Amino acid sequence: MRRYIIAVIVLIFAIIFALLAGNGAIDTENVLEVLSGGGNRAQRTIIYQVRLPRILAALSCGAALSVSGYLLQDNLNNVIASPGLLGINNGAGLFVLLSAILFPYQSIMKCLMAFLGALCAAVIVSILSSGTGMSKTSVILSGVAISSLGATLSQMIISVKPETVADKAAFSLGGFASVPWTVTRMAVPVILILLIVAVISAGALDLMLLGDETATGLGCNVKLYRGTHIVTASLLAGAAVSMCGLIGFVGLIVPNFIRMSGGSKSRGSIFMCILTGSTFLLISDTAARLLFFPYELPCGLIMNVIGTPFLVWMLVRKRKRLGAYD
Amino acid sequence: MIEIRDAVTHYADRESFYFHNITFEEGKITSVIGRNGCGKSTLLKMIVGLRPYKGAVMIDGQQSRLLSGKERSRKVSYLPQNLKSVNIDVGTLVSHGRYAWQSGMRRMSAKDFEKLDQALAITGMTEYRNKNLSELSGGERQRAYLAMVVAQDTPMILLDEPTTYMDVTVQKTFFDVLRKLSKEGHGIVMVSHHLEQSFSYSDRICLIHDKTALFNGTPDELADNGALLQKVFGMRVKRSNDADLLYPYSAIK
Repeated sequence: MRRYIIAVIVLIFAIIFALLAGNGAIDTENVLEVLSGGGNRAQRTIIYQVRLPRILAALSCGAALSVSGYLLQDNLNNVIASPGLLGINNGAGLFVLLSAILFPYQSIMKCLMAFLGALCAAVIVSILSSGTGMSKTSVILSGVAISSLGATLSQMIISVKPETVADKAAFSLGGFASVPWTVTRMAVPVILILLIVAVISAGALDLMLLGDETATGLGCNVKLYRGTHIVTASLLAGAAVSMCGLIGFVGLIVPNFIRMSGGSKSRGSIFMCILTGSTFLLISDTAARLLFFPYELPCGLIMNVIGTPFLVWMLVRKRKRLGAYD
Repeated sequence: MIEIRDAVTHYADRESFYFHNITFEEGKITSVIGRNGCGKSTLLKMIVGLRPYKGAVMIDGQQSRLLSGKERSRKVSYLPQNLKSVNIDVGTLVSHGRYAWQSGMRRMSAKDFEKLDQALAITGMTEYRNKNLSELSGGERQRAYLAMVVAQDTPMILLDEPTTYMDVTVQKTFFDVLRKLSKEGHGIVMVSHHLEQSFSYSDRICLIHDKTALFNGTPDELADNGALLQKVFGMRVKRSNDADLLYPYSAIK
């Protein structure tokens, strides 16, 4: 229980800090004034139309990507599986760009196409990896292949039709500088529903960790739950990509951090992923806004700076643990 | 009770397995024996829904394939051959045995806790309750998993080669636990490679050969049918009346 309380306190502080930090010369008093219904028009615009939507987007994307990573890792029995590495983010990103060509300015189509892209990527990776034995390596290699294909096709679209994205760097690296409220309004409720599905179905994950045969013997419908989890993980990643573009590593770093910090029950770990993931991405976004103030970095850049050494460290740690047996 | 009548299952790259008439009863320990690849594990997998089949695999008079996972797991528990060493404590592992009796949110009821305590006590694992599974020896881990299926509280318990990692002393304790469970009314069905052990500790033997069941009866009846054992294993089994022997039955050439 203590870790949940700490996580909630850190999350609250991160939200308060994100509300106060940034351009606009708004101090704590002004923020409180605006939140209690006062303040001038400029202050209200900054708080209600810029900072709060951005905070909401960062929190929901952080939670979505972290839980997506957790579900993929447990279901594929592979700690380095994540929506980024498995090509799900790039699949969603490609379809977001396609939606900008086929259905310009239609936020609902942007979200739906992101879901479709994420699901397509997950299905293709599943087919490719099952055709090659469904080993940990084949899953990751299939994901890398699909990810590369998605990235290449996305770059082709951006090169041929640059108007499909407002900010190329922000889309490719991922960020919250220009998330339209119309998209956030649609994606956040979907993310909430999917997180509830993840929490409800998490009980089966504890059994599936014992192996498919043992779990079946205990009464768990392994195929049904695995399908549900992979679809949920894909849709969560798709919803996040429709808002913030191709932010990587959140789904890798947060679930592994939660595993390392203890707690063996999946439902509790998913709750922790929601709290920690949302806090982590919000802090990263706030850092992206403040580090080179008044210039702003894409949040995805911060994630890449943290994520790359983390991935290398995980591989080295795994290698050391396996030692001579590998 | 589990009844199998004219049940067939196919593997894509192997021949069909056909089981004509097999019955596993409650209150008895039944060993399923046979040579490698004869279909022993396949038989158990058909019962618990891990292998699709045609024909009748009846659990308490109901087709196994028509039962939901939880319905089936309230009647039959199953321990596969390969048991994972995961990062959880024994108490948590054993609590998973209550899954079939719980709702979606998996809240442990007073009855669940009672069954968990009983399962730990009957398998002698109470003192290991807070130990991590990865800290246990192979034999202890198998006993922890046995406690999990005991907590499942089913009339029938299916075990696929449960004594693989156990030394002789632990095996003896393990069979004492199985005997205790069978006296309480549970039916135990156990796949085994160990002829002498199977004959010595079982009430009934089911002999599988060449993808079908050749015999289903008492150990003495099978021991008397030397020709059948000779055909399958190239050896016979002889019973000794020496009460000090660990295995009263011994295999002879």
